[in-house]
Amino acid sequence: MAQANLLSPPSSIPPATALQLSQKAPPIISSSPTSSLPWPLSLLFSSETPESWTINENLLLSCLRTGDDKSARILLERLSQRFGDSNERVITLRGVYEEALAKNNSELEQVFKRYEDILKDDPTNFTVRKRRVAVLKSLGRIQDAITALTVLLDYSPTDAESWAELSELYARVGEWSKAIFALEEVLLVYPNAWSAHAQVATLHYLSTQSSSSPSLPALSLALKHFSRSIELNESYLRGYYGLKLVTKKLIPILSDSSSVKRSNGDEEVQPPKLQTVKKLEELATTKLAEIVRQYGAGKKGWAGFAEAEVIAARELLDRDGKIER
Amino acid sequence: MPFLGTALNGAGLIFLTHAVYSTHEHSVAFAASPVPLDITIELLLSIFLLSAGIVLSSPDFKPIQWAQWSGKISRETRKGEGQWTREGEEFLSEGDPYAFLGLDGGIGGKSEGRRGFWDVRAKRKEYEEWVKSGGQS
Repeated sequence: MAQANLLSPPSSIPPATALQLSQKAPPIISSSPTSSLPWPLSLLFSSETPESWTINENLLLSCLRTGDDKSARILLERLSQRFGDSNERVITLRGVYEEALAKNNSELEQVFKRYEDILKDDPTNFTVRKRRVAVLKSLGRIQDAITALTVLLDYSPTDAESWAELSELYARVGEWSKAIFALEEVLLVYPNAWSAHAQVATLHYLSTQSSSSPSLPALSLALKHFSRSIELNESYLRGYYGLKLVTKKLIPILSDSSSVKRSNGDEEVQPPKLQTVKKLEELATTKLAEIVRQYGAGKKGWAGFAEAEVIAARELLDRDGKIER
Repeated sequence: MPFLGTALNGAGLIFLTHAVYSTHEHSVAFAASPVPLDITIELLLSIFLLSAGIVLSSPDFKPIQWAQWSGKISRETRKGEGQWTREGEEFLSEGDPYAFLGLDGGIGGKSEGRRGFWDVRAKRKEYEEWVKSGGQS
């Protein structure tokens, strides 16, 4: 298990890791990166590095998570002393701090009002706009959050992070087509992002789950995007997993020729050939089996997968094996 | 392999220094006569040893194909690179450059989500519950 790192924190932080991260607070707080000497000397004797402030910021966030509010306060003061109270990032971090300390929804509404005031003074502060959305989400007002996000994206249509967030909000309320649209905007900005392709594919796949009969065009699109994601990343577990799920759904539909003809009429999406789908299914199975085997054997170059994902893949393979037998 | 490379580099450097020194001495003593053959051979040998050593001791190539490069990132854990900041945090090798999109947790997953929209209260609650349940992972 890798040591928790404040400079580049992992993409998912379970509570145990969060505790580890925030326990690094005392030594970092005790030595300030800025010098206490008067101005011209402080430039010479400062021990600041480009990484110092990233570490301070990440530490502030993990302290807030573990409820170490005193350390968080000190770090926040330090950041605002260094960069000024009117710095956009400092304003945002102060907002996060207040959000964390809000005990109930009415106090959170107060924070929300303060954000509105900040935006009245400076409507271009996008990080505060994003915080506003986050507060609305935290209050459970998903529809309002969606509206606020669409306004934000009207002003800044190339902000992939916001598009991704919008897509997730739409997915949460079950508006699959809108969620897919939002994520396709992410793909326009980052066409090589394998995770975005897998996410679009997942959305297509999930959109077929809600209707009673699986629709061929949506599944074909899911297949396409999953294939793209593994084309961009040859060891992408999620991509292979999804590919296997989709192909397993597609093969019976494609084998039944009448359903293919029926849906082939005026659809824009050409359904894939049965042979191709079978080949892809084989590829996904071999790759998943390889990942499961190598990870299980504890090979050195294969430890980067998430354990839960590998277990899920193993279960999928086991289930599949039983059906075939 | 790194040991062999270092040994070759060391030997090559010694030969090179010796050859250069010999040439200098020779040119001082016998300015008119050409450089003797043994010095030339020593020089060529040292260059050969050094080239081989440098090639052997250089780090592995990084994948230049996108799929291989990204595959390596998702297969391997992020390793420390042997450098630390003043705060004691190690610099790590390259990670997923698209992690900031927060799409790896799937829909309704338990990942960190996007930085700008970080839900601090939900994470705080999750942590509190973890502590209450005895701190088991």
